[in-house]
Amino acid sequence: MTTSALALEMRDICKSFPGVRALDGVSFDCAAGEVHAICGENGAGKSTLIKVLGGVYSPDSGQILIGDVERLFARPADARKAGVSIIHQELSLLPHRTVAQNVFLGLEPTRFGVLDRAAIRAGTVRLLKRLSSTLDPDARASDLSVAEQQVVEIAKALAFDARILVMDEPTAALDGRDAQRLLALVRSLRLQGVAIVYISHRMSELAEIADRISVMKDGRKVFTGPAAELPTSRIVRLMVGRELAQFYPPRSQAPAGAPVLEVASAGNRVLADIDLTLSAGEIVGVAGLEGSGKTELARALFGDLPFERGTLSIAGVQKELRSPRAAILEGVGYLPNDRKREGLALQRSSRDNVLLTLRAFAFALGRAKGAGMADAAADELLRQLDVRAAGFDQEIKLLSGGNQQKVIVGRWLVRDPRILIFCEPTRGIDIATKAAIYRIMRNLASRGRAILLVSSDLPEIVGVSDRILVMRGGRIVGGCDGGASEEAVMALAVGHQVETDAGEGANIGVAS
Amino acid sequence: MSVVASGMARPRRAPPIPLLLFAGSLILYIAVALWTGQTSQLETDGWVGLLQRMVALGIVAVGQTFVILCGSIDLSVANLISVGAVGASFIMQGDASMIAPAVAVVLAISIVVGAINGAIIAKLNVNPFIATLGVGLVLQGLLSASFTNFAGSVPPAFQAFAYGALGPVPYSVLGLFALALLAWWALRTTKFGAHLYAVGGNAEGARLAGVRTDLVVIGAHVVCSVLAGVTGLYLASRLRSGAPWVGREGVYDLESIAVVVIGGTLLAGGRGGVWGTLAGVLLFATLDATFNMLGVPPYPKLILRGAIVILAVAAYAVRSREHVA
Repeated sequence: MTTSALALEMRDICKSFPGVRALDGVSFDCAAGEVHAICGENGAGKSTLIKVLGGVYSPDSGQILIGDVERLFARPADARKAGVSIIHQELSLLPHRTVAQNVFLGLEPTRFGVLDRAAIRAGTVRLLKRLSSTLDPDARASDLSVAEQQVVEIAKALAFDARILVMDEPTAALDGRDAQRLLALVRSLRLQGVAIVYISHRMSELAEIADRISVMKDGRKVFTGPAAELPTSRIVRLMVGRELAQFYPPRSQAPAGAPVLEVASAGNRVLADIDLTLSAGEIVGVAGLEGSGKTELARALFGDLPFERGTLSIAGVQKELRSPRAAILEGVGYLPNDRKREGLALQRSSRDNVLLTLRAFAFALGRAKGAGMADAAADELLRQLDVRAAGFDQEIKLLSGGNQQKVIVGRWLVRDPRILIFCEPTRGIDIATKAAIYRIMRNLASRGRAILLVSSDLPEIVGVSDRILVMRGGRIVGGCDGGASEEAVMALAVGHQVETDAGEGANIGVAS
Repeated sequence: MSVVASGMARPRRAPPIPLLLFAGSLILYIAVALWTGQTSQLETDGWVGLLQRMVALGIVAVGQTFVILCGSIDLSVANLISVGAVGASFIMQGDASMIAPAVAVVLAISIVVGAINGAIIAKLNVNPFIATLGVGLVLQGLLSASFTNFAGSVPPAFQAFAYGALGPVPYSVLGLFALALLAWWALRTTKFGAHLYAVGGNAEGARLAGVRTDLVVIGAHVVCSVLAGVTGLYLASRLRSGAPWVGREGVYDLESIAVVVIGGTLLAGGRGGVWGTLAGVLLFATLDATFNMLGVPPYPKLILRGAIVILAVAAYAVRSREHVA
């Protein structure tokens, strides 16, 4: 099926970490001008494989051939020189430096020992042009949107004449429309003869873009085949090892209960004219593009970026939520956008993390263990949530993203708030854990809790919510019923010009 | 299908910090001189005196800027300054022919100390705060065990370093500004400078982009230690001899960090530069000079200094919060 020469071949790669066999004889190849996707659950070994290819880890055994020549990479610089560029899952731009400085980081051309800034700038302009981007090479990285930063990452990857480009979940942080543009970019790079290794959890993307798909499970490659012959259901079965009975839990048939949260003509620096009602027993989805204000809405409701105008009532009583602590006391819970940065005490155990909020409201000089929940009870909760760890006293940073997210869910379960806000709850999480989190959300709702789901993942919004609100420019611009088509939600999010004009409106700013 | 930079205006930037600090310091100095009627301070000698106050702290602080930019810190500079001052005067013993060997020895020691600091941090992954604190204690211990008072003296020829002048402007002041210019150039136009910012901004990102982060950190520490050594030489020249407490007494470790941060360099690294640092040094020199004119006693002086450091850094925190959208 691949007639062109292999740009990359990895043979029998093995890599172990203390206690874990992360890669067990994995072979993988990719031809020039091919998109070869890798999927697998978190912890299946995808990232380790990529890090071996990029010279971050050296393999215990096995060979890496680049264009039929065997290579050994001692450090990332070696891999880059050999034409392998990796866009890692976490964006790694320098926030205070310009686009051009970022693009040429690590391979700055010099003249007479001095940086050749003209060449750096010209090179950046050329690369951006190749990516059909009109970004300003002198703009500071911190001023760019996530989608724009992603473009800079790609330019950076191509700067050293990359023949092999590895993208680790490049669309995870993008909303639908920006993700589409990125996919178009990947296609054009493929036409230019770049070998592309593409990792993603988004099944629809794989069908759209991949030539071949490999599935990894537990450190082994369990399947490689042409994408065209591989329906999504089969990929999922290969990844999970079983059929997922029902990905999205069924909606409740009972009508929503009494309103628990009512917001009227509220606003702040970013938001304006926010009117919304959240009732017991329902899951309300909030959709919107990057910069639409949906994250800010969640933070406003949690008191982290408080409303400055309008009224907010909880269970019919007017309240002012000036801080997260005040919001928690009123029965609001919040699962943050960025698990690692805002959600977890990374060096603490699962047990400590699950008890964090509970302890925050316990008597300061009381014994930590006496904060209303014993270790045994915490462990029982973690077991119920099916958190998989070597032990619940293990540092949480060693757990997979899905398990970390379950611990954060558990943190709120122990307080049992009336209102729970989930922000991007399944970003970068494998498919089985996603399903588990949706089930937890639905269970909470059926027990009379009100749930707000803020997400950039359209299928998730449409599949899980009872009702959908769409935001644009800091306002709620419309609503749909649960189960509405993704196109309908997107049309609202971009303001009606969904098919007609692809060149505008992607980076809708806060001021619309 | 281009990913277009939208028409949104980039966030507007406040005027550059160094400029504000320079202007503020000068206004303060002139105002206090006029208010206290000490108009002689506004003549050439007064200005030269003000600039001269900047020299010692300025040299160390330029070095400190390099390490802080790459996300590290150096607490050993004060003790290394003492080592440099004592080493120079002890080796010279008033003999002009020993100037060159003494300078060479001090610079060599400084390079070694910097390399050790950098290697402990980059290779052994010891937190820079602890690593340089430890190295500083070792230096001070070695020095205090060997010397208890002023050791040796420097020959008159060497005193020219501190007291010589080109017209009204002392060599040392010219030297400081030349050094700042050189440092600015290096940070701005060399690969080393670019990588310094990169390592400070995102060390893991820089490493994944192929930057030898360990060498960058070691290089920054060597620069910083060499400049601390030079400061020691300058103090020996100015005091005509070196004593094992000169660095400590000047609180060069903490003050150099304070002026770097006042100058707008992020303590976490990745952003800032040498002109801000120099402006911070000028602010400190101005405070010293104005407190003298106002006759503020030494302890209230310390309190005011402390308050100003906190205020300055708090001002940045507020400023940067405004940028968060």
